[in-house]
Amino acid sequence: MRIAFAGKGGSGKSVIAGTVARLLARQGCKVLALDVDTLPGLSFSIGVGGGSSDAGLPAELAEEREGQGWVLREEVSAEELVDRHASDGPDGIRFLQLGKLPGHVSPGAVVAFRHVVKGFCRPEWSIVGDLAAGTRQAFSGWAAFATRVALVIEPTAASRLTAKRLRGMADATPNSALGLVFNKVRESRAIEEMAAELELPVWAQVPYDERVAKAEREGRALVDDAEASPALAAIDGLVQHLLAEDLEAV
Amino acid sequence: MKLAVVGKGGVGKTTIAGVVARSFAQAGRDVVALDCDTNPNLGLALGLSPEETARLASIRESLGDGGDHAPTPAEILERFGATGPGGVRLAVVSRIDRPNPG
Repeated sequence: MRIAFAGKGGSGKSVIAGTVARLLARQGCKVLALDVDTLPGLSFSIGVGGGSSDAGLPAELAEEREGQGWVLREEVSAEELVDRHASDGPDGIRFLQLGKLPGHVSPGAVVAFRHVVKGFCRPEWSIVGDLAAGTRQAFSGWAAFATRVALVIEPTAASRLTAKRLRGMADATPNSALGLVFNKVRESRAIEEMAAELELPVWAQVPYDERVAKAEREGRALVDDAEASPALAAIDGLVQHLLAEDLEAV
Repeated sequence: MKLAVVGKGGVGKTTIAGVVARSFAQAGRDVVALDCDTNPNLGLALGLSPEETARLASIRESLGDGGDHAPTPAEILERFGATGPGGVRLAVVSRIDRPNPG
């Protein structure tokens, strides 16, 4: 499975992406987790080194090219990036921070690696990506690796407006299947209406869950919570749903 | 007073900026609210409808880089802004994201 998570800031992309990565890995899948955001998030929700492993790739892997900004040096392959420069996470996950290059704060530096993993040619691996918040980067080539893009939305007017914008952008990149993951749901009345308006399938409804807030406060992965969590159960449902759909598609 | 509100996604920047703007307006000040987010939702927090919020973004989007359209800040507000509840004048001044595959 190759899936990217997009949505408004604070909608819960990182928590859901990190939890999906862990659940896939626990099922025996080889998982590459990509943080394509420049702000930390995914490393915490996966539980990679206490969230500290999001420094970005070594600057010497990239070079600045006329008209292209910062790009990876030609001799560096996606496989090499994963094998040599990814961090080890729990359950055998490999974690890569693709969103930044330390020491370079120019806008060009953050678009260095977006295409790299598109060429990652190990079909047995699953890729789970956490995209930057909002609409800026989500479909500007950042999700090129993904065959599925999940729009994470809360049942709020702002989230709905963001999803509409993302949906409009997604129409320009028709290679990925798009679906909705509702998050922090307290009552499901508004959901069918929003899904109908956006004309997208609902892949999951994740309930509002105080345990998610607690895990985020403490900087821990939701899957490492000893207590059963309704949100975790719903995210597990999402994983099973997507795996079953992928099987059908084969 | 010129106040900018910044922070990580989802912390509540827009909500707080909207309430602060409305509070100042209620206290009798003239208030200009600028949405600098590339995913601009400040209109909602100020009390504008989703349709009007989307319309302001699309006006900004139609301007491209904007250089030729609005030579002065006052003109941006005048021509491309909207007045919301409580008299707050809002304009979207960010670069709006457009599909840019590749």
